[in-house]
Parts: sequence; C-alpha cells; structure tokens
Amino acid sequence: MAASIAPECNEVKEKYDTCFLKWYSEKYLRGNTKSTDCDELFAKYKTCLQKSLKEKGLDTMLDEARKSGSETDAEFLKKS
Amino acid sequence: MKFFENNFTYDYSFPAVSMAYFLRYPNPYSRHVLTSDVVDRYIDPETQRLHTTRLHLKKSKIPSGILKLLPKGMGGSDNSGQSYILETTVVDPNEGWMETESRNMEWTGILSVVEKQRYQRLLPAMDQVLIDGASLEQKAEQTAVKTTVTFRSRLGQGKLLSRKKAGADNADPEEEAPKRGFFASLSTAGIQRTIELVGLSRTREAVMKSKEGMNIVLERLRSGGIVGVLEGMRRDREALGPEGPWKRVWLQGNGGNNAAIKDDDE
Repeated sequence: MAASIAPECNEVKEKYDTCFLKWYSEKYLRGNTKSTDCDELFAKYKTCLQKSLKEKGLDTMLDEARKSGSETDAEFLKKS
Repeated sequence: MKFFENNFTYDYSFPAVSMAYFLRYPNPYSRHVLTSDVVDRYIDPETQRLHTTRLHLKKSKIPSGILKLLPKGMGGSDNSGQSYILETTVVDPNEGWMETESRNMEWTGILSVVEKQRYQRLLPAMDQVLIDGASLEQKAEQTAVKTTVTFRSRLGQGKLLSRKKAGADNADPEEEAPKRGFFASLSTAGIQRTIELVGLSRTREAVMKSKEGMNIVLERLRSGGIVGVLEGMRRDREALGPEGPWKRVWLQGNGGNNAAIKDDDE
C-alpha cells in the first residue's frame, strides 16, 4: 500500500486500506452500500493524519484547495 | 489554455478498473509518487455514490528550465522538488461509472493542471449486470476511459509581470543569462504558451505511464486477486526502500542487482 505522508500513521493507514479494499470489492461494488465496516478504522486514521497535516501546516492549504476548484475558474474568466 | 484528450478501453470489468484506480500506487510506473493519503471519504446517502478525496505527494514536475525563471519559493513548497496533488473521485456502482479529478495545489499561477477522467462500464451484448466475484476475472466486460487534461498558465499576469520587465531592462541577455533573456523577450502570452506546451508534452508521457501502471495492477488483480496486488506492491516497495523511490533506483540501477534487495519488511 502506498505510504502515508505521516510515517506515524502508516500502520493504521495500512489497516484501513486493507479493510477498505475488502469492503469495496465484496460489499460496496455488489450493491451493499449501507455497510460501515471500516468507519472506525477510518476515524482513527483520519485523526492521526489530521494531526500531522496540521503540524505540517498543510490543513489550511488543503481546505483552500478543496474549496477553490470552481472558484479559480470563475476568477480567471473575470480577469481575462 | 491548452487541452489534452485521450480515449482508451481497458479489457477489464468496471469493478476491477475502479478498484485498480484506488490501488494504483505504488506500481513500477509510479516511482514519482511518494505518499498517498485518504483525507475524506463518504457515501452520499441519496445517490449511494462513494466520494473520495486523496492527497498525493509527488516529485515535482516543473522542468528545471522553468524553475529558474521563477522567483524563489514559487516552484513548490520551499523548492523541495515535491508537489501536492488533490484527487477527488466519485463512484456510482449501480450505473457503473467513476469520475476523477486531479489538480496541483501549489504554483497554480505558473501552471494549473487539471486532469479529469470518466470511467464507464461497457456491458457485453447480453446486457447482464454481473457484479459478483467472478466479474473481477471475467474478460467479457470492458471499461472505457476518457481523459481530459487542461493546462492554464497565468504567469506574467499581475505581480509576476513586473519581474519580467525588470529582467528585460537589465539588458545584456547574451552574457548574463541567455535563457532569461530569451524568455524576457517573449510576450506574456508567449511565456504562458511556452509553459502550457511544456506541460502538454510531459502529460502525454505521464498519461501513457499511468495506463501502464493501471494495467500492471489490473493484471495482478486478475491473476492473484487482492492478495496478488498486495504482494506485488510489497515487492515494489521493497525495491524502493526507505530512502525514497528514486534514490534507491539510482543507487542500485534498474535491475539484476537482486542481492541488495533483501530487506524483508519496510
């Protein structure tokens, strides 16, 4: 599995990724979209990741990038 | 603005292709991908579609020729040679499609690259929806993918423009910095076009490589299932080592040197 940007999260990420693949192939893609098998692991992984992103100062950049997708297009068209 | 478009058909079912997409790093063609994280994932309760946001850290793709033209710090996070890519995907398992979008998060003023893909299940003539374990291995179903990449440079607009003018006034472009002189002599639109074209030519290669990577993951999936993919990844990762992919490759060369790759768990 691909490594996490936060080495301390690698272990929980690997567990989550493995869980996700199993859920995705055996349940979700077969129509069982309600199951929540990996929610707990994802919450743990996310907590670990968020902490690291914050420490690296990446959390705000990430928020902005996620918001700005369509905004940058509109802004560009206005300018030109 | 420049556009790149490509259509391709995988000889694999939609479930396999969509899974390979999430599983595609690491593969032997992704040595530039350093890390990959899921920052958000949820199922839309109304549509049952799976939304995923991932953050990838990749080796910077800005050519050094362009980097030299830029003010310090603009070439990525403190010129580290790395760049962050934000990837969002939506999967609809019932309708059999997946849409992806990847964009660079930094230096978007220099060159903003947005790659969009739409994967669509192509049903065999019989029109039977067979989403079971067997369909992962069946070759009957195919998946079409359309890739569109948009390049847009805003370099030279706004505050960057003044730098270009300063460069032009310094004169003597031949002796001091021929490349910079060359660029300074271009119009703003010319610089933007140059950068967009560099992006475009590099993208053709990148799209091909990403297809090769997907095919390797798909082949592993077909021959060994998820376990096969994970084992393949483990081998890839061992070959990469803890130092980071590219360093290890340089140190050891590309093949033959198996004795050195003995670390068992990294």
